[in-house]
Amino acid sequence: MSQEQPRRWVAVVGNPNAGKSTLFNALTGLRQRVANYPGVTVEKRTGTAFTLHGEAVELIDLPGLYSLTPRSPDEEIARKVLRGESPGIPKPDAILCVVDASNLERNLFLVTQVLELGLPVLVALNMVDVAESRGIRLKPEELSQTMGVKFIPTVAHRGKGLVELRAALGQKISDPGQRRWVMPPQLATAVSQIAASWRDAIPAELGAEGRALELLAGSNEGPEGARKLATAWRQRFREQAYDWSAAVVHARYAYLREMLGRAGIGHGHVKMTWTDRIDALVLNPVAGWGVLGGILLLLFTSIFSIAAYPMEWIDAGFAAAGQVVQDRMPAGLFRDLLVDGVLAGVGGVVIFLPQILILFFFLGLLEDSGYLARAAFLLDRVMHRVGLSGKSFIPLLSSYACAIPGIMATRTVEDPKDRLTTILVAPLMSCSARIPVYTTLIAAAVPAALMPAWGKAGAMLGLYTLGTATAFVLAWLFRKKMLGGGSPPLILELPPYRRPSFRTVILRMWERAVIFLRRAGTVILALSILLWFLCNFPHAAEDPSERLAQSFAGKIGHVLEPVIRPLGFDWRIGVGLVASLAAREVFVSTMSIVYHVGGEEEGLIHAMRAATWPDGSMIYTPLTCVALLVFYVYALQCLSTVAVVRRETGSWKWPAFMMLYMAGLAYTGAWLVQTVGRALGA
Amino acid sequence: MKTIDLTQGGAGREVRVSRLECAPGTCQRLREMGFCENALVKKIRGGADLVCWVCGTRVALSSRLARQILVETVDGNS
Repeated sequence: MSQEQPRRWVAVVGNPNAGKSTLFNALTGLRQRVANYPGVTVEKRTGTAFTLHGEAVELIDLPGLYSLTPRSPDEEIARKVLRGESPGIPKPDAILCVVDASNLERNLFLVTQVLELGLPVLVALNMVDVAESRGIRLKPEELSQTMGVKFIPTVAHRGKGLVELRAALGQKISDPGQRRWVMPPQLATAVSQIAASWRDAIPAELGAEGRALELLAGSNEGPEGARKLATAWRQRFREQAYDWSAAVVHARYAYLREMLGRAGIGHGHVKMTWTDRIDALVLNPVAGWGVLGGILLLLFTSIFSIAAYPMEWIDAGFAAAGQVVQDRMPAGLFRDLLVDGVLAGVGGVVIFLPQILILFFFLGLLEDSGYLARAAFLLDRVMHRVGLSGKSFIPLLSSYACAIPGIMATRTVEDPKDRLTTILVAPLMSCSARIPVYTTLIAAAVPAALMPAWGKAGAMLGLYTLGTATAFVLAWLFRKKMLGGGSPPLILELPPYRRPSFRTVILRMWERAVIFLRRAGTVILALSILLWFLCNFPHAAEDPSERLAQSFAGKIGHVLEPVIRPLGFDWRIGVGLVASLAAREVFVSTMSIVYHVGGEEEGLIHAMRAATWPDGSMIYTPLTCVALLVFYVYALQCLSTVAVVRRETGSWKWPAFMMLYMAGLAYTGAWLVQTVGRALGA
Repeated sequence: MKTIDLTQGGAGREVRVSRLECAPGTCQRLREMGFCENALVKKIRGGADLVCWVCGTRVALSSRLARQILVETVDGNS
């Protein structure tokens, strides 16, 4: 029996926009896995690549970095993985640095830091076509000799250079040897002393120097002697008003400029390109907003109109599956559980998959083309007024489809307070799960014959505006009054416009679909079964609405009634509110069970309009419907969001705060509508 | 040579960074992105929020930050 050799791990690092993920996708194809790093919230993307000899190599795609001095959760985890300090992830055997060949000086800055990790390094000189079009003469051989590691020219999106890269991955990857840049004498003394006290643990000189620089920067990881020495040197530099960290950056750049100049590799010509011409339009203070508005309109139209077709198919598919189960299985509790619990619950969530995929398709196109960075830049001034930076725009935009990807997208926000504020207000952006609730309640409030199509659209727009405006007001309150401090100033690289890589976009959509479906099959499935149980037990009556009234959920509704009565809600609405705690859209299906009307929307609306209080007055007056709509604009009726916030913030404190403030807002908003409306005679 | 902040002067001019007057973390990130002292910066877009060409890349900066970057005009640009 042959013993299998452990696979080699290669970490893929590079600046943002260097084409790192495109190269990773080109090398690994569909052999990718996405998970979270143990204990932290940053996504881990790994994949298997094959060398030319067929050896499988595990690649780990790290978030884009400008330097190994971390400033965001993404950058911190990348540094830890490279150091082999991330639990559950083996220390990389080698590093593949992806650099943008058209922007060598800035990209090689990171490479000078990576070389100090003391690991074998391979450099992919990516986007050589762009560099050559700018008149930059690249000399990979000369770069390899000067920097002591192999440079391989590639054009990842066209698959050029991949064979050479696969061949190099299969060979012994060279070690960088010694430091090339010249350390200022004052700093060199400090670094050599700190490194000497660590030499036993890290025999490679370059690795020990890298560790010494990290200790000087304030890292706490290392032997006590080295840490004490670093603290003493830091103190001495402070007394001497010597900015050692600036000196390191200067020294690295000085070396790179000199090295590139010697090799005759310049910046190329700085001339007006079509990127600048497009920017003149999209960054224009007037026209830019028009372009952004047009793109958002197209995005939302697609989410709400194109997605309607596949959503209908999914709905029909689940209905057909339910029918098959109903026809083939004998009547009984197990059949009810499968049809009303599992299929209705999971189907009610899976139906939103097309909307999420369309959102990620558009986000992928916008990001890959380079536009998203411009949108963030354009919005920075508006976001700054509420205490956030332009980087919060993308997460908030994503939250219109679903708060979960929106909250996950906050990982790119560097400032922790900005990130937390964005997470806290993201669920106020009306997500796609609210659409069925809004549609049903608007129809219940005003008969279809009395409300033209534009009236319905206007009502929907009003609800979206209410959520968004409240999110901005609360962001200001949380950021300025609760968390304190101002948002950091915006520094944003604007990559040149490129034709988006459909392969990358489709792979990202696939990845999202897998994550979403996995959640639907686990968390949502479990919650659906639990809700079914609460709505059906104790099994006291055969009539479904009678059974619901006497069920655990019904009892909860009756207990709730005195609390929700001031809002104009009865116990049956209370059952709907409790049942939809896990997911808002469950309100509509619960109401169908409560009023025993089956699945058709028309029947439900008719039943709601006919429902009365014991004194014979209408329950669903227009005022009560508006109060209920306001309640759903604000209430956090989504357990998946709670779970994601817990994961992203690392504690229960913030999800608990979010649930409380949103519940308070929902209750107060609905009460105000009812009270003011009654006072005005509505 | 005249020292001005980066928001001053129109688009298309080339300047040399002379001093950074922002918070240490922000200064470090600016330097890492190429805005080192003595680095040449070309302003592509002026106005309230500006876009510069530095180290072969377009970088957008908020005007708040640009005011903290002191620059000198380069001969022929003044």
